[in-house]
Amino acid sequence: MTQLQARGVVRAYGPTPALRGVTLDVAEGEIVAVTGPSGCGKSTLLHCLAGILRPDVGEVTWRGHRIDTWSEAARSRLRRTEFGVLFQFGQLVAELTAAENVSLPLLLAGTGRREARTAALTWLERFGVADLADVRPGEMSGGQQQRCATARALVTEPRVLFADEPTGALDTLTGEQVLTQLVRLAREQHTSVVLVTHEPRIAAYADREIVLRDGLVDHTGLGLDVPLAGGAR
Amino acid sequence: MRAGTLVRLALAGTRTDTARVVLTALSALLATLAGLAALTVLAIEKPPGDAWAESEQYRNALLREPGLRGGTAFALLMLTIPVLALAGQCARLGAPARDRRLAALRLAGATPGQVTRLAVLETGVAALLGTLAGLGVYLGGRELLHRPDAQGQLALPTDVLPSTGAVAAVVLGLPVVAALATGVLLRTVTTSPLGVSRRAGRERGPRPWAGVLIAGGLLTVAAIRPVLSRLNDDNDVLLRLVPLLLLVGGLTAMIGVVIGTGWISYTCGRLMRRYARRPPALLAAGRLMADPWAGSRTFAALLAAVIFGAGAAVLRAYFAAQDALDREQNQLAGAAGGSDPFYLSTMDLVDVAVAVAVLIASGGLIVAVVEGIVARRRAYAALVATGVPRATLSRSVAWQALTPAVPAILLALTVGTLLGRGLFGRVASSGSSVGVCEASAALCDDPATSAQYTRVVETPPVERVPDVPLEHLAWLGAGATAAVLVTVGVGLLFLHSSTALDELRAA
Repeated sequence: MTQLQARGVVRAYGPTPALRGVTLDVAEGEIVAVTGPSGCGKSTLLHCLAGILRPDVGEVTWRGHRIDTWSEAARSRLRRTEFGVLFQFGQLVAELTAAENVSLPLLLAGTGRREARTAALTWLERFGVADLADVRPGEMSGGQQQRCATARALVTEPRVLFADEPTGALDTLTGEQVLTQLVRLAREQHTSVVLVTHEPRIAAYADREIVLRDGLVDHTGLGLDVPLAGGAR
Repeated sequence: MRAGTLVRLALAGTRTDTARVVLTALSALLATLAGLAALTVLAIEKPPGDAWAESEQYRNALLREPGLRGGTAFALLMLTIPVLALAGQCARLGAPARDRRLAALRLAGATPGQVTRLAVLETGVAALLGTLAGLGVYLGGRELLHRPDAQGQLALPTDVLPSTGAVAAVVLGLPVVAALATGVLLRTVTTSPLGVSRRAGRERGPRPWAGVLIAGGLLTVAAIRPVLSRLNDDNDVLLRLVPLLLLVGGLTAMIGVVIGTGWISYTCGRLMRRYARRPPALLAAGRLMADPWAGSRTFAALLAAVIFGAGAAVLRAYFAAQDALDREQNQLAGAAGGSDPFYLSTMDLVDVAVAVAVLIASGGLIVAVVEGIVARRRAYAALVATGVPRATLSRSVAWQALTPAVPAILLALTVGTLLGRGLFGRVASSGSSVGVCEASAALCDDPATSAQYTRVVETPPVERVPDVPLEHLAWLGAGATAAVLVTVGVGLLFLHSSTALDELRAA
């Protein structure tokens, strides 16, 4: 079943076009990698799909509802309840401990403090960082921070996880460990994942790969079988 | 690096850097005006005659009476405290952008010493521009305001100038002090080609040592009255010791309150962290515990103004009580009237000075709140992107400002009141014996009959404790809290632009 759809999405920053008419479907439980060279519009597409940005032209629908016409507050609520968002870095609140960071989305949803902490500890455990529950991000390594951030993105058990270069700031081994855990847990929960990356190695974890070039879909295919433009694979 | 290059690089930057330079210059301008005004009051020459001979060329008793000029100059100097605090806040404005610029210069080959000199020079040059502009405004204003009335009296001391040395000390000294302060603050900062890092503070929260400073300050001021009573005949010692005790005690207590705000912030943060149920309070608690000294820095000028205002409120209550007592005593003696109304009316001027100080301190607060939001814009933008409502972040910023502000203002009110009560804790009337003639003027004026109609009225010595000016203190506290609320409101206007998604793209 299709969960998320983009139809003819166009988005520009001033005179600079970022997306020039992208159409895309994401099915329930599907992991989709969006790849392409720098500046091709990958992050902009993710932001449009997640309701963070509104497309200038085109539409984005979530389970049949057109979300690009929703108010900022309604889209925020959608992101809080149905979506999870993960960035390359900087998304953890520096002053809060790992457990507090992970429990934040639950507290926002009205969950009690004790239950939120219990859930946060469970998710930190799943990512192997339960021992860092009372440690602040500044005292963690990049990989530990990203595990906590991933736990935070998944703690509400979202239907779709949007991950923008989630391993971009990590070394190869740590990046693979984080991604392996992310993909395993997403599959367990039947969570769809939209994964933006410029690394073919990371895109290989996806069920489907969409290659963007100059704001348009260049290729679509299955995982490693999709050749990058220019054959540089 | 050549001097010209150094100056050009020091003043280069974005609009935020320009705003920082302009605000620093403006603060220096205000401080220069306050300093020069105080020096001008002190430069008024004592006319020939006894020590209390008045300078009749002025309309206002604050300038005319030599006994009041010192206090007037002191009050003007006190106004520089919130101004200098504003300058301190301005120096932090746009710090992340400046840090990136300094890191880029290091990447381009500048040495650590050179980038430190750039930062020091930026503050120094901005402050110098401000003090020079302040000197210009002072000299221009002096010419414009020199308007003697029909009796040849002046509203302001526009007929005297401070000595050249004193003017130079203000105009050149302030930039030097500002530059040195920047240099000292940068001692904990390391600018590398990859960015700026600050030496982390202690993990442990502030200890309540500020209480010792507050107690010490209060005891010092409370010692003034016993000293006055014991050294009653030794005027020379009194003249030196009393203002010294007042200055040392007042400043010590004030520093105690400001430092104590760090402890208050940390303690409030710890309690909120333990008991908070909602994300805004949790976010604020984390921030308060991570940087408890932010409260001290932010509220220093406001708290100083509140302490000063509370002391002034006590002084006003003292004058009012003295006036009431004098009226009662005079009534007993069959006369009318109370104390000299000049002192009570002077308190209106002091209240205006306190209001101006709160206003200037509010300017510093706005800068601090905006700087705090702008410095954390990427983290805020990331939270908004993950679905955290902006209202949650707004409430968090408000919690963060108000949680330490309310107890800190209450502490400042208490300390200001106790300082005032230490000095002006009771009013007294020494009592008198007055002959009251109860007959017609003709009979009273006639020495042969006046004794027959005159009775002696004894007024006993009376000592009273003036009321604590609760209403005045409540207004002062409410005004200071309102100032914090308004500044938070203004600061929140910047939250929306600071959580724009563009911040996520600017990695």
